[in-house]
Amino acid sequence: MSTVAIDRVERRDWRQTLVQRPAIALSVALLVLYGITGTQTPSLFTANGVRSTLLLACPLAVLAASQTLCMLSGGIDLSTAMTANFAAYIAANQSGRGALGALALAVLAGLAVGTINGIGVGVFKVNPLIMTLGMSSVLLGVITVGLVGDGFLSGSTRLLPLVKTVGSGTLGGPFPTNLLVWAVVAAAMIFGLSRTGLGRAIYAVGDNPLACRLAGVRIWQILLAVYVLSALLAGLAGLLFSGISGSVGPDQTNGYLLPSVAAAVIGGTSILGGFGGYTGTILGALILTVLNRLLLTLDTSEAFRQILYGLIVLALAWVYVRVTGQKSRGGG
Amino acid sequence: MTSTPSALVTTTLPRPTSRATRFRRREGWVVAVAFLLVALMFWRYTQIPTFGAFEIRTITAGTMTIALLAMAQAVIVISGGVDLSVGAVMVLANCVAARLMEGASGAQVALITVGVLLMAMAVSGIVGLIIVLSGVPDIVVTLAASFTLAGLALIVLDGPGGGTNTTFQKIFVGGFAQPIPSILWLAGVLLLVWVPFKRSRLGLATHAIGSDRSAAFLSGINVARTRVIAYVVGGFFSGMAGVVTTAFTGSGEPRASIGATATLTSVAAVVLGGVALTGGSGSLVGPSLAAFCLALIPALMLGLGWDPNYAEVSRGVIIIVVVMIGGLLQAKRQAA
Repeated sequence: MSTVAIDRVERRDWRQTLVQRPAIALSVALLVLYGITGTQTPSLFTANGVRSTLLLACPLAVLAASQTLCMLSGGIDLSTAMTANFAAYIAANQSGRGALGALALAVLAGLAVGTINGIGVGVFKVNPLIMTLGMSSVLLGVITVGLVGDGFLSGSTRLLPLVKTVGSGTLGGPFPTNLLVWAVVAAAMIFGLSRTGLGRAIYAVGDNPLACRLAGVRIWQILLAVYVLSALLAGLAGLLFSGISGSVGPDQTNGYLLPSVAAAVIGGTSILGGFGGYTGTILGALILTVLNRLLLTLDTSEAFRQILYGLIVLALAWVYVRVTGQKSRGGG
Repeated sequence: MTSTPSALVTTTLPRPTSRATRFRRREGWVVAVAFLLVALMFWRYTQIPTFGAFEIRTITAGTMTIALLAMAQAVIVISGGVDLSVGAVMVLANCVAARLMEGASGAQVALITVGVLLMAMAVSGIVGLIIVLSGVPDIVVTLAASFTLAGLALIVLDGPGGGTNTTFQKIFVGGFAQPIPSILWLAGVLLLVWVPFKRSRLGLATHAIGSDRSAAFLSGINVARTRVIAYVVGGFFSGMAGVVTTAFTGSGEPRASIGATATLTSVAAVVLGGVALTGGSGSLVGPSLAAFCLALIPALMLGLGWDPNYAEVSRGVIIIVVVMIGGLLQAKRQAA
């Protein structure tokens, strides 16, 4: 079967290209999906259509950035959606203090959440899934308690003008204002992960924590940094979400937890750690946003949309794993 | 190889552990959780003036679903996986059962119950099959499945509705002041499903693949098949949870958030119940006891005159503190 052998070698070649450059396949998928969606809603091909896609993709991509960091370090952060909501609430509730004071408090909240998560995962070695799940539960309770009666979150929830402008404004043409924030986050993520010591250490810890420890890396410090950064990014995403909708609500960001994990997974970041990057996540977030748009235009019921969304996320992840040969631990 | 055989023997032979030590190591955590449950129950007993059959029934019948869901999660966690769709399977089973059972006779209801259980097993089995076939991490597959299944539940029942048979309700959750059926069902499921499963080759294989998948494969276990079967067994428990929900509430409720919250609680109960998330150890007794502990918290806070909204906070804090202590203990044991 020599032909098979030759075929295999060739296939490994293009597979390797795809593994090393996931952006290629993802860009093609995005363009195809955008084209298909465009046939349903021609407005997508106008500057305004591009703008609305970017506007909606931005907060998701920032939320997925925090997920990417955690996944690269071999963990996961299921508290991001709640952290986002919490930060958005605090910023809106404290808007009377002025932009600087309100944003500082929101950042402080993110810092606190991230530090607790980081200490739990890094120092106490709690499974990240449980740690962040518990944190999510705590935050949900804190928000609920804060909202009733004369709780600390009750009262005015007027958004900061700054959050509103950045969250929903337009720079001009097809560029929404929140693209600026996204660009800064993306640049910091891509540069930080590939060129800084911390970035390389995150990959290393995710790939092989034992080898890291033997090499003298203080793993708990890396994990603490990862979860603090993750919570800060989540808080930022929460502000952007509230900027788009122009309000805050207790359930506002809940629905974005799965999409943020999915964006990172579709973007080629391994949930087992040590492999991937933010470029893929950007494309993953864009793909999911366009997909959502497509499902909305199909004029189907909410139930059917949910079914399709789950199936397509699964199919994309499956195709990705098949094409790149990246498998979960001892699968099958 | 220069040392004498006698020296080898004296230095490498481990000291045999006594029965008591083995029991403490294996079941210590479960016993601790059981004591915690008794303490919480006693606390609740001192809080309310009359602590009779009605109060016990409120606790047992209301917690049955979470206990069953915790068992579903536990089987899958023991096999080395995790299932974030157990809640969605429960909601789907609840909706299907409520829709079909409306106005059905006794025999029909029995048939529907069996059908719903089989459906839940099939659905969960398909999820497991996809995990094994695709190689996509289980967290991702089950998260996506939870979306799809919640959507299916919405198609079956587009709002709260459906109904059931009162005899069926009595059989599963008992009458107004009748706690015995719910306790019997939980004990029955544990004794008739879990114990035989655990003692069978399959149960051993499930523990083995959770402990070390490569070692299990090298000892001749069909890893893929065992993983799928773990999901099928999990599906049975999730389906049971759905059927019991139908019996308890007498209707179906397709809200996806119910499933999501229930899934989180099931993971928490599994961790509190002493099943290591790394897989390979633990039983279903601990998680079902832990589910009761978790369910008692809101009631206790209400009794203390606290805002029950704090229950969510305290549940999260308890989970975090318990796993932190667990992490510390493990680190200490490794250091020793």
